[in-house]
Amino acid sequence: MVDEIQIDALLAKIADETGCQLERYSGILNEEAIIIPADQLRAAIGVLQTDFDCFHLSTITAQQRETHPGEIELLYQFWHGQGFALLLRLPIPAPEVTSIIDLIPGADFYEREVAEMFGVTFTGRAETPRLLLPGDWDQGPPFIRSEETDE
Amino acid sequence: MNKISIPIGPHHPLLKEPLSMRIDISGERVLGGTLRLGYVHRGIEKMAQQRTYIQDVHLIERICGICSHVHTSTFCLAVEKLLEIEVPPRGQYIRALLCELERVHSHLLWLGILAKHVGLDTVFMHTWHDRELALDIMEGISGGRVSHAANQIGGMRFDLSPEQEELVRLNVEKLKSQVNGVLDVIENEPALRARTQGVAPVSADMIRAYCVVGPVARASGVDVDMRRDDPWPPYDQLDVRVITRPEGDAFARTLIRVLETRESLRLCEVLLENMPDGPVAVRSPRKVPAGEVVTRSEAPRGEVLYYLRSDGSDKPARVKVRTPTLAVLSLLPEQLSAIHVADIPVVLAGIDLCIACADR
Repeated sequence: MVDEIQIDALLAKIADETGCQLERYSGILNEEAIIIPADQLRAAIGVLQTDFDCFHLSTITAQQRETHPGEIELLYQFWHGQGFALLLRLPIPAPEVTSIIDLIPGADFYEREVAEMFGVTFTGRAETPRLLLPGDWDQGPPFIRSEETDE
Repeated sequence: MNKISIPIGPHHPLLKEPLSMRIDISGERVLGGTLRLGYVHRGIEKMAQQRTYIQDVHLIERICGICSHVHTSTFCLAVEKLLEIEVPPRGQYIRALLCELERVHSHLLWLGILAKHVGLDTVFMHTWHDRELALDIMEGISGGRVSHAANQIGGMRFDLSPEQEELVRLNVEKLKSQVNGVLDVIENEPALRARTQGVAPVSADMIRAYCVVGPVARASGVDVDMRRDDPWPPYDQLDVRVITRPEGDAFARTLIRVLETRESLRLCEVLLENMPDGPVAVRSPRKVPAGEVVTRSEAPRGEVLYYLRSDGSDKPARVKVRTPTLAVLSLLPEQLSAIHVADIPVVLAGIDLCIACADR
């Protein structure tokens, strides 16, 4: 059993490491989140692993909020004595973020699912094969909202 | 020696559910493999966003045919948190009782499959015979053997009569004594040890790297169990004994399931002994206030996670489900490397695949 991660200490350390002003997001019951710039994801995970000995990524949850249709939101949901998340916002139409499978090999399936369901490009991977959708699926990412799909 | 790629699946006698694998071998050695999922992908997350919360309870139950109840429990818990309602204690206890019985039947199912794969057909028949009793108990509680339709938002859809409660108590006692014999055999049978000891060992570091959960993680010494680490009521009042083994091999993964079956039956007894009186549910509104929530449970195969976002209507704006098999499956190609061809079934059985869960 591991001790609960200290979110304030984590936020301070990531801010220190990346040189960015970071914000907490407290809108999720049962899970604190830290909003980080997409280009600082790897640095943040480096801090998690090196300074907090935290490795367990539960999943990557993607969504497109009705209030922010111009971006895809990614929640990298971790567990270390308690649930917490790193929150990234990627602009549409070309949502892109660096892959973390070299840091967390277990992220492979989660990245592949987000890629096919939300059209997010994970750079730095040799390939991003489909995980769940059929090979001949040609209707675009099913979770992306557009005027046509909303109708 | 030349490398040969063997396709296995998506439909294969070795697999109970569809999964496509390509396994590279050289002589009798396995060099590695790749996986393809999605053959039973039903788009449940997307469908859940198009249905009401009440309809979703029944949809979510169809994610898995083995651990259907833990899925609805975790989903209902998420909605209940957004609604700020609490299930009455009796409802909590019946909910947890079904979760533990589900773990018993899931582990017995898995132990039978492993026994079958290693040629111990007698053990297979005994474990599945005992599993029938676990299913009978659940049928006695809910009327359903695998899909119980027991949960609703705010509690349970039905109560247990005193006669039902007594019958469940007697049958749990019977199951406990009945299953002990076959579990003893599994723990001590030399043929089973010979086929599983030292096979496909996984280190704790590997478990951490691949974010593996549940019995597979605990069999490698990783001390994690959501019933203890992130408990929802009544688990926060129970002394859940988390069982770990340091070896990380197929035998350790077997022993973990044996010991967890015993522990779950003990928890069933504790729940029945301390079953509170009172209502089993509270009324819940149809519309859910805007908000977001994450809930985790310990399914038979490990941590299951639900992320739910409400926009204030009667339908969720986003439902995300991370099932334990998806976390465990990512380790499979690693596990397949550097084993003997004859051990492939042992490795596959060892991770307790539930493809319907992984595909959703």
